[in-house]
Amino acid sequence: MVGPRRLNEPRAVAVCAAGGVPRAVGGAAVEAVREEWVVEDRWWTPRPLHRRYFELVMADGRALTVFHDLRAPGDGRWYRQRA
Amino acid sequence: MDDPVAATELTEAVARALEGIGAGVETERAGEVFFAVGGLRGLYGGEVAGVTAVARRAIGVPVLIGVAPTRTAARGAAERGEGVVAPARLGRFLAPLPTAVLVDRLGEPRAAAELVTALERLGIGTLGELRRLTLDQVADRFGPLGLRALRIARGEEEPLRPRVPHEDLVEEIELPEGVAGGQLDRALHLLIDRLLAAPERKGRTLLGVRLGARLCGGGSWSVDQGLGRPTAAAAPLRRLLVPRLEGLPGPAEALRLRALGFGPPAADQLVMEVGGAEPRRRRLGAAVREVRATQGADALLRVLAVDVTSRVPERRHLLTSFPEL
Repeated sequence: MVGPRRLNEPRAVAVCAAGGVPRAVGGAAVEAVREEWVVEDRWWTPRPLHRRYFELVMADGRALTVFHDLRAPGDGRWYRQRA
Repeated sequence: MDDPVAATELTEAVARALEGIGAGVETERAGEVFFAVGGLRGLYGGEVAGVTAVARRAIGVPVLIGVAPTRTAARGAAERGEGVVAPARLGRFLAPLPTAVLVDRLGEPRAAAELVTALERLGIGTLGELRRLTLDQVADRFGPLGLRALRIARGEEEPLRPRVPHEDLVEEIELPEGVAGGQLDRALHLLIDRLLAAPERKGRTLLGVRLGARLCGGGSWSVDQGLGRPTAAAAPLRRLLVPRLEGLPGPAEALRLRALGFGPPAADQLVMEVGGAEPRRRRLGAAVREVRATQGADALLRVLAVDVTSRVPERRHLLTSFPEL
């Protein structure tokens, strides 16, 4: 039997941001930022977690959630994930 | 090894490896495994060196091996890197060993430690010095435990008592992130399902289980749980084991469940079900097996809620195999 695996793993996505706030995701324009929040966890371990989440409304009407991985400030990647 | 649970697990792994090469194994303490070399020589080249070489390969991790006519001498030979102590050399080998080695051999650690302390106060610090005492002297001063110590010092020990080879039925689940508290309950339910569904169980009931965990930050923990009566049902296992999770000293990164002994086949037990849930469960179980048989072992999966309130979305649920029913 297969071992357990996570659901809802983050997926890398191309984000165009200004001032740290997404303006376009995967080439699609962002209409509005509904909410944003920060998750910081396991800072006491060798694998800390530091993410800034954005819940977005896209220009085409879709709702999307992305986060900026802040473990590498200035070079952090963006991911999309259902939150 | 600072982790006694890990030491016990490693000792068990070594014992099983030796049983795999045909050895009759005696192991009563973590860190020690004894087996008789004589019967294996004919299988592995006729010499002791051949047997020890095969044993090392089977064990697969670095271990100390000593060959001698008694447990005390074998342990001493292993620790001192002396390899083999021939019977003719036994007395000379045992003589300089400290009386402290008796603590592990007498079977009553506290009483043995007191005996050793008393001997040392009398200036008897080695097995050779103990051997110079007479039976009457030892019996008068130290009683039956002292007489056993004297026999060990003389190289007289009981024959090995090989155990019945253990069947190893164990399931482990890695947890994606360290979890604690109630979130572990759901992972434990899954672990129980997998243990009961393991083909190695061969339909037999369980007499007891050992629940263990690998802790975040290092170390391990385990607890043995008797089941009262043989069972192959998940509900009583959950009732007994979930409360034991409260004894975890910290967040776990893996849970392990090992069967400790098997009872009669589950089909030989009569279970009275109230409410008619059993027929439905049997039909569902048959459907699950049929789907697996035609579509593959992983055709049926289920979502396990691990920590639905976690702020990290990927920690909330696991996708895992649907258990056998």
